[in-house]
Amino acid sequence: MIRRRGRILLHVGLAVTALISLFPFYWSLVMATNTTADIYRFPPKFTFGSQLDDNIHHVLTNIAFFQSMGNSAIVAVSGTVLVLFFDSLAAFTFAKFRFPGRNALFVILLATMLLPAQLATIPQFQTMVALGWVGSLKALIIPGAANAFGIFWMRQYFQRSIHDELVEAATLDGCGFMGTYWHVALPSARPALAFLGIFTFVASWNDYLWPLIVLTNPDHLTLQVALSQLNRSHGVDYSMVMTGALLAMIPLIIVFALFARQFIKGATEGAIRG
Amino acid sequence: MTLTATAPRSDVGTTGSGRKRPVRSYWRFYLALSPFYILFVVFGLYPVASTILLAFQKWDGLGARQMVGLQNFKFLIEDNTFWLSLWNTLVLFVMSTAPTLCLALLLAVMLHSAVRFSSVYRFAYFVPNITSLVAAAIFFGAIFSTNFGLINAGLRSLGLPTEDWLGQPWGIKIAISTMIVWQWTGYNTIIYLAGLQAIPTEQYEAAKVDGAGPVRTFFSITLPQLRPVVLFTVIMSTIGGLQTFTEPQVMVGTSGGAGQSGLTAVMYFYTQAFVANDYGYAAAVALSIFMLVLLVTAINWRLFRGRSES
Amino acid sequence: MELSRRTLLAGGFAAMLGGSLVGCSSGMDAASTKKNASGNIALWCWPGGLGKTVLDDTIAHFPDQHIKYSEIGDDFKQKLLTTFNGGTNIPDITGLKGEDIAAWLPQADRFVDLNTVGAKDILGDYLEWKVKQATTLDGKLLGIPIDIGPTALFYREDVFTAGGLPGKPDEVAAQLKTWDDLLAAGLELKAKNPKALIVSDATDLYGIIVSQGTERYIDKDNKFIGDQDHIRRAWDLAVKAINTKVDAKTLGGTPDWNAGLDQGTVPALSGAAWVALDVKAACKTSVGKWRLAPTPSGPANFGGSFLGITKNAADPSAAFEVIKYMLSADNQAKAFADAQIFPAAPKAYDMPQLKAADPFFGGQVPIDVFGPAAKAIPIAYEAPLDSAVGAPYGTQLKTVQSGSKSSEQAWKDAVAQAKQIGKRQGVQ
Repeated sequence: MIRRRGRILLHVGLAVTALISLFPFYWSLVMATNTTADIYRFPPKFTFGSQLDDNIHHVLTNIAFFQSMGNSAIVAVSGTVLVLFFDSLAAFTFAKFRFPGRNALFVILLATMLLPAQLATIPQFQTMVALGWVGSLKALIIPGAANAFGIFWMRQYFQRSIHDELVEAATLDGCGFMGTYWHVALPSARPALAFLGIFTFVASWNDYLWPLIVLTNPDHLTLQVALSQLNRSHGVDYSMVMTGALLAMIPLIIVFALFARQFIKGATEGAIRG
Repeated sequence: MTLTATAPRSDVGTTGSGRKRPVRSYWRFYLALSPFYILFVVFGLYPVASTILLAFQKWDGLGARQMVGLQNFKFLIEDNTFWLSLWNTLVLFVMSTAPTLCLALLLAVMLHSAVRFSSVYRFAYFVPNITSLVAAAIFFGAIFSTNFGLINAGLRSLGLPTEDWLGQPWGIKIAISTMIVWQWTGYNTIIYLAGLQAIPTEQYEAAKVDGAGPVRTFFSITLPQLRPVVLFTVIMSTIGGLQTFTEPQVMVGTSGGAGQSGLTAVMYFYTQAFVANDYGYAAAVALSIFMLVLLVTAINWRLFRGRSES
Repeated sequence: MELSRRTLLAGGFAAMLGGSLVGCSSGMDAASTKKNASGNIALWCWPGGLGKTVLDDTIAHFPDQHIKYSEIGDDFKQKLLTTFNGGTNIPDITGLKGEDIAAWLPQADRFVDLNTVGAKDILGDYLEWKVKQATTLDGKLLGIPIDIGPTALFYREDVFTAGGLPGKPDEVAAQLKTWDDLLAAGLELKAKNPKALIVSDATDLYGIIVSQGTERYIDKDNKFIGDQDHIRRAWDLAVKAINTKVDAKTLGGTPDWNAGLDQGTVPALSGAAWVALDVKAACKTSVGKWRLAPTPSGPANFGGSFLGITKNAADPSAAFEVIKYMLSADNQAKAFADAQIFPAAPKAYDMPQLKAADPFFGGQVPIDVFGPAAKAIPIAYEAPLDSAVGAPYGTQLKTVQSGSKSSEQAWKDAVAQAKQIGKRQGVQ
């Protein structure tokens, strides 16, 4: 009886938190289907309106939505693939092999996490000028193609989930270093890769400050920068801004839905095996 | 660079093999690690070194740079707004990180024991992390607004006095940290959950056999097993929290709102660099923020390391 | 399989090593002013900065120039600055925002002095005080005015009359001659209707009063004057609004402001002509109830921008012809009809587009208020550092507004901070 009541309480707690998490998202849906004036009244509107088509239309006529979305997709997909590859390879090396300087290199890696990236924005821009990358999508993809956070996160996972014997067995089977990485490390790291993948993709997709600075060619923008153009200086149409923001979220939700399955499946497998 | 040679079997140095080998025979490992370090030197270390140099210069972003020695730092020490921004950063950091991590841990434990709808919850908790900040800022602005906000409507219906949230220094801090907690709890929950799922189930079964209740199990098994994960989230939250920028910026603007209560150190850096175009001074602010991050992380590290050794 | 992965890896490293070498060896020559390719004119402005009809018409009018228009969102000044720094994609013609123009003046060598390409002939068409804003102390002209932002008192006729105040614009003008009159009227209104506060935000009010003067915080000799009477008077009036509790404390653009305008709890505000766009966007039920009266104690200007030509322009004379055409009085009148961009050329004020009655203002003709205001704005000196040095006053005033500091303490702190910011940048 007590157990049952505890279970119900548990689900009530989880459900309430879930609702709080989702509510702003729901409210932005409400806002995107109404006019701006409908939102700023008291009591505010909490139900869907009929303005969605109009709002979408306004977004599409005001900015090059699909073109910028294409640019964002190029940046986010290629960036994520590079991060997953470079980070997992480095993490696997740190986790399962010994070589001179390993500890020192790892300490350096941890220390780099402390460097506040956005504080070096100005010289970073100067570097891009020197490389001739200003205005190009390369400037968004390459600098973040390997990151300390991902290496650290994957290393933790490899240490725990891959037994040394497995690596040794693979070696005896004639797998080289890359072979072991590909056939042993990667398949077992799916849940960790899914998490890192989602995280990297979201961060890249939503990145704003750096693309704003470095993409000087107005024809070549990412989605977040293009969306900022909906913020006119006067008489901001918040419903339109909100609609743009929501449209931009759709790919993220799709990516999350795809990876989340993998993440959940992988995580349970890991738990059973462990 | 030729990579055609196939790997000799002995090349895979697994843990435990203590034979002495020439350093160059490990080239594969160094190559595997090199992308990160190369990128870091070009896009991380070089810009940071330039920032350090810039902190001793005066530069308006277009003209010639001029060496000014320690002048920027001298002004920094006398600059009350700078110190206020550091204080705000620390207060906001504590006000947002502590609830975020506690709540995330609680949710992760609850989620771990609730089998049904687990993936639905997980999805719901992660949504704030992908919700556009623009949308979130408009939403939280509306929640905390004085006359039409939901919170004041709630207070009014309970007969309690209302508050001018975004017009009061503490109200601003509460509003900003609420938004940060909302945004980052789900993310940390998922990290904790991954940690929880990695704890061997035998340990729990053994505890059950010993007759340990859920609370005792939590403190004697879950928490100690989770310590590395907790340390990880604490450090990541420290680094992120001490660089809070976007949330206050979208909520109260770059000036920081009433009493500049929402002005964080990174926002101060941003306004000095990109609004006032005083890049040298901004670089000095940036260096100070870096020192602060270093200091707080070192303290965290010591605290957690010290505890795990005892 | 194995091999291709390795090649991929090797390729990646080679590319990166190459990249890093370039990074180390090539110099940082940012100050180069390469000329843009000729035959094209790249034009940059921010969303809503230029009227669409006029823009399309201008592009069609100069088919040989191949005008390429780009809209740059968010922080325009920052974007232009980094683009100058980057050295590529620099526009030929660029918008320069009114609030940034003083900060661009020290960068005059990045721009073409428009006096050298024939601006002298057309300067008489524009308001003198506006042209002065884009002129350096040694006489270089950086831009031709697109628009201006003359202020007026926006008020709710229904709320005013219900509160025992006059409702007709000329009666309001007669009673609210000075800010003291306005504050006194505010007390009257509040006595009848405790929810209606006549000052929308005391810090906004402070900003407008300062802008009514001919000097700000730094004078022409680069001396700090932010502790003098003209500033202190603005401060005291704002504090009076706070102390007499006629301050609604709702900053422009916030949800409370939007809602308050429509519901009558923010029944009046002093703002530039373009504020009408914000008010109209926020109001649905109060359409036709708004009126305009002259700003108490005289008009001020907020915003209003310019078009300038960068040194990178391939053909500055051709670019100037484009600007000249686009910003003629006729086209400024069209831009007003199109997007409420308020003309900087006074000839436009007599054109039919501006003479139209506005149903939002109950059939009042806005130009009858804004036109005389525009012509009466005094020539003011704005130093490049004025906005940076003036920032502490606003933030300190907010502490008085929230009740956490006394006026005297906040004033002292504001002056000290302003002096310090000035000192850092070489202000005496």
